[in-house]
Amino acid sequence: MTRCLDEATLQTYFDGELSGEMMESATLHLASCSTCAAAAREMEEEINLMMTALEPEFEASVPTERLRQRIDAAVLDLRVDAASLPARGGFGAFISGLLSFGSQRSLGYASLVVVLAFAAVFGLVKLKTDTPEQPIAQTPPVKNGNEQVAVVPPTVDQPVQVNTAVERKNTDKRPTIRTNPAPRFTAVKTEVTTSEPVKLLPGERAYLQTIARLDSTIKANKKSMRPSLQVEYARNLAVVDRAIAATRSAAKSNPNDPDAADFMFSAYQSKVDLLNTIADARLGGGRSH
Amino acid sequence: MNGQARVLIESMPNDIGTEAVGPLSFDEAFTLHHRAVFRTARAVVRDSALAEDVTQEVFLRLYRNLHATPGEDLLRAWLLRVTLNVARNTVRGQNRSMVRDNEYHKSTADNGFAVEAPEEDYERRVAIEEARRALDKVKEPMRSCLLLKQQGLSYREIANSLSLKETNVGSLVARGRKEFARVYGKIGGRR
Repeated sequence: MTRCLDEATLQTYFDGELSGEMMESATLHLASCSTCAAAAREMEEEINLMMTALEPEFEASVPTERLRQRIDAAVLDLRVDAASLPARGGFGAFISGLLSFGSQRSLGYASLVVVLAFAAVFGLVKLKTDTPEQPIAQTPPVKNGNEQVAVVPPTVDQPVQVNTAVERKNTDKRPTIRTNPAPRFTAVKTEVTTSEPVKLLPGERAYLQTIARLDSTIKANKKSMRPSLQVEYARNLAVVDRAIAATRSAAKSNPNDPDAADFMFSAYQSKVDLLNTIADARLGGGRSH
Repeated sequence: MNGQARVLIESMPNDIGTEAVGPLSFDEAFTLHHRAVFRTARAVVRDSALAEDVTQEVFLRLYRNLHATPGEDLLRAWLLRVTLNVARNTVRGQNRSMVRDNEYHKSTADNGFAVEAPEEDYERRVAIEEARRALDKVKEPMRSCLLLKQQGLSYREIANSLSLKETNVGSLVARGRKEFARVYGKIGGRR
């Protein structure tokens, strides 16, 4: 028959790590060779002895809940450190008080409307200047944004005041907001990204830095945000981000078109405004109500 | 800040929801692997409170390096490799008396974390201590092979954790197991 099994092979056999073919030949060999069969029995005993001996060590209870709490807290610390703005500290109750303002919500809506309008205006301009069959500019925000085109001129500043009327209209349409429990690690996902190098367009860096700073401040205090507000904030942010992505890809494909770049910066500005609105209302929100 | 800015722009188009996009979110990684991490850490540091410190450190490292860690299939191997490193560093300069562990068990029992009869608890800990003493006599990397094997890691994962060749793992496990059985037989008089 085949050669006798050495110790490593026998161990691998018991651990179920032999390849199919080798497993078969080892089994056949063990059935026919009394020396190897005896060695196998001895090894099996030793394995059992070790399993039994180490079992209490590895079966002892694991303090899952406490570990979870500790790690949650440590991760939160990490994020607060990353934010490194003076907003940390004893603001907790203060902030959560501020966040229950209704005006907060309407400011959010206002920003949303501005972004929709930007996207719509951009979409129209793009359709006029470019070939008509290019669908890039028609990002999702355009869908219900057409009626607002006339209302908002494509200027960068003052997004909030202009749109209060439109915003009321939108408030009625809005579905009731689900109060999802806040996920434990909301920041995780932003870290799970590929590390391909990204080429920034000229002038983008300053915006991105501002956004990153505001974003991390807000994230650091996210626990004190009402869940419903968090959902809304995330939704508004999604719209702004989509607008940025759309304008950005347009600016990228038309590097010589100053309008394209302008629209991209407008979209960035909207995001900065939205983030500022959230961050400002927390720090000095008393005045808004 | 630049890194953060880059992450932001990369995540822009559709990355706004609350669900993870990577193969495993941090949350899932914790749920799946914290036991193996804690137990491996405790087997090395011999102290539950220290093992908690180690576990926390390991998961913080995961959190910081989430973008650079291996995929789901080798994540456990990565975590346990980090665990062994952190635990070994922790153990240096720590005395391994059981005193602290006893205090820990007392405090966790007070908090309702462990509910065991005192005698049972005592016997159990004598058994653990005997196994630990035997494991101590096993040389590296056989010892770590045994620890990881006991956690249910495959040869591939063990090889990855300990930077070994996969083909050598079987022989290392066999030698480690043999040595363990020899010493444990002497200590406990069971063989």
